[in-house]
Amino acid sequence: MIQFLIKRLIGLLFIVLGVTFITFMLGYFAPSDPIKEMMGAHFDYQTWQQLRHAYGFDLPWYHQYFNFLMRLARFDLGTSFHPQQRAVWDIIKDGVPISVELAFWGTVVTLLLGVPVGIWSALKANTWVDTFNMTVALTLYALPVFILAVFVQIMILWVNNAGISWPVIGWGTPWQYSWSDIQYKLAPILTYGAAGYAYYARLTRTTMLEVLRQDYIRTARAKGLRERAVIYRHALRNAVIPLITVIGLLLGLLVTGSFFIETLFGIPGVARITVDSVFQRNYPVIQATTILIAIGVVLGNLIADVLYHLVDPRIKTE
Amino acid sequence: MDRKAKKPLSPFQESMRRFRRDTRAMISVGALIFLVLLAIAGPPIYKHIGGTYLSDFGAPIGPAIYHSYDHQELSNQNEGPSARYWLGTDNLGRDLLARLMQGVLISIIVALVVEIVDVVLGVIIGVLAGYHGGWTDTLLARFTDLIFAFPGLLFAILLTGIFGQSASDYLGSLPVVGPFLANGNGPLVIVSLALALVSWPLMARYVRGQTLQLKQQQFIEAARSAGTSDVRIILHHIIPNIFSIVFITSTLDIAGTIIGESGLSLLGLGVRPPGSSLGLMIADGADLLEIHPWNTLLPTIVLTVIVLSISFIGDGLRDAFDPHTKD
Repeated sequence: MIQFLIKRLIGLLFIVLGVTFITFMLGYFAPSDPIKEMMGAHFDYQTWQQLRHAYGFDLPWYHQYFNFLMRLARFDLGTSFHPQQRAVWDIIKDGVPISVELAFWGTVVTLLLGVPVGIWSALKANTWVDTFNMTVALTLYALPVFILAVFVQIMILWVNNAGISWPVIGWGTPWQYSWSDIQYKLAPILTYGAAGYAYYARLTRTTMLEVLRQDYIRTARAKGLRERAVIYRHALRNAVIPLITVIGLLLGLLVTGSFFIETLFGIPGVARITVDSVFQRNYPVIQATTILIAIGVVLGNLIADVLYHLVDPRIKTE
Repeated sequence: MDRKAKKPLSPFQESMRRFRRDTRAMISVGALIFLVLLAIAGPPIYKHIGGTYLSDFGAPIGPAIYHSYDHQELSNQNEGPSARYWLGTDNLGRDLLARLMQGVLISIIVALVVEIVDVVLGVIIGVLAGYHGGWTDTLLARFTDLIFAFPGLLFAILLTGIFGQSASDYLGSLPVVGPFLANGNGPLVIVSLALALVSWPLMARYVRGQTLQLKQQQFIEAARSAGTSDVRIILHHIIPNIFSIVFITSTLDIAGTIIGESGLSLLGLGVRPPGSSLGLMIADGADLLEIHPWNTLLPTIVLTVIVLSISFIGDGLRDAFDPHTKD
C-alpha cells in the first residue's frame, strides 16, 4: 500500500509539473506586457528595461520557469497586475471557502440523492417508476449545466412574480445557514448537483441490476434473509465499488460546472475569480487558480483511487 | 417462383438497420437535419422575404439588411414576433431568427472542425500506440493522464481568454475566411483548437483499445504471415474495423463540443459581438430574463433540442452497435 501511494505521489508530482509548465507557458506567450501596462502614460524605454530586469522578464524562458517553480514551492503566489501589486493569495482566499462549500453540497446532493434513486429504480426495474426516473436523469445529464441554470432562474422569477420573494443571484455567508442563506444557496446547489445526480442515478441502477442477478443474491434469498438484509448487506456493498471509481468523473463535472454556476448565479468563488482575471488579463491570478484547481483534481483522483483499493479487497495494489 | 437469394448484409449495415428502428433516435435525426438545413439554407431565403421598411438612419432598407444577424435597429428593441421580425428582436434590435440561424451555423462549423481534427489525430496516434506499442503508447498514456487531470474547460478558458482577442486581430487579415473571422468570430479558431486538443486523447484511447483487440485476431496473424507490410495491414485491415467505434465516439463527442462552444461564448470567451452564437445569445438575454424572457428562452430551447437529439442518437447508435443485443 505504501509503495502504491509513493508511486502515485510521484505521478502526481509529474502532473503538477506539467500543469505548472502549461500555465507558465500560457502566461509567457500572453500578448500583453505587464510592465508596459503598469507604466501606462509614463512609458520611457530606459525605465522599461530596468523594470524588466528587476522583475526578471528579460531572462530566458527556462530560467523564468525555474524561478516560477521556486516561488511556488515557497507557496508564494506572486502579486497581481490589477489591482497593482496586491498579493494573489489575498484575492483568492475569500473565494476558496465558497467554492469548497459549493462543491461539498453539490457532492452531497449527487451522492445522497443519486445513489438511493438509482437503487430504487433498480428494485422497481421496468416499471413506470424506473422509466420516469431514468428519463429525468437522462435529461438532466444531457443538458449542459448553464441551460439548467437558466431554467432554474426563470422558475425562481415566476416564484417571485407569484409573490414569494426568493433571491435569484448571490451567495449568503459562507458556511452559515440562516433562512436567508438557505434561500441563496438552495437553487445553485441543486443545479450544480443535478448532472452528477443523474450520472450516479443511472450508474447505480446499472450496477445494482447487475449485482442483483448474481448467484450469491439468490443464495441469500434462499437462505430466508429478509429482503432488506439482502439489499443492504450483500447487494449494496458490491454495487458501490464501481461508483467509487467514477469519482474522478464527478470531480471533472464539479470543476466544469463551477465556472458556469458561479458566473450565472453571481457566486464569488474561485472559478468566477478565474474568469474575471481572464478578462482583466491578470495572469498571476490565472496561473495561481489554475494550479490550485488542477492540484485539487489530481488529489481528488488519488483519494478516490486509494478508497477504491481499500473498499475492494480483491484488488491488488501493485 | 424462385426468390433471388438476398446478399447478406455487412455487420455495419445490420447495425444501421437496427438503428433505424429506434423511434427516439430517428426523430432526433429528423430534428437535427431540420436544424442543419435551417442554418445553411435559411439565411439566404430569409434575406429575400419581406418588404422595405424605413430604417433608423432615414433610408429604406430591404430584408437583405434587416434580416441579417448583425444589423441593429435601436428603435425596435425587444419586440415580439411580427411580420417584419419573425421571432422578434433582441435588446439591440437585431433579428432573433437570423441570430438563431447564425448561432446554429457556428455550432455546426465548430463541431465539424473539432471532430475532423479529433478523428484524424485520435486515429493516427491511437492506431500507432496500439499497433506498435512502445514509446508511442507510453507517451499517449502520460498525455491522456495530463489531459484528464487538467480539466478541459479550464484549458479552453485559459486559451481563449488569453489568445482570443489577438486571434480576432491577426486572423482578420487572412484571404478567404478573413471577413468571416473578423466579424467577432476570430476566437472560434482558438475555441476549436482548445476543444480539439482536449478531446483527441479520449478518441486515441478508444482506438488504441480496439487496435489491441484486433491485433490478436487471426486474420491479422494470417496477413502478417503472408508477408503483408505493416502499413498495408493498418490501412486495409485495422482502420476499416475501428470505423464503428470512431463513429460512435465522435457522435457523442459532438454534443460535448457544441456545449463547450456555447459555454465559452456564454462566458464571453468565444464568439464576440457582432457575431452570434447560441451561448452568446443566452448571455445577452440573461439580464432581461424577468421582462423579456424570450431573448434567452429561444436559444436555450434550440440548444436543448440539439443536445438532446445528439444524446438520443448516441444512445441509439450504442445500442444498435452493441454486440450483446445482437440476435
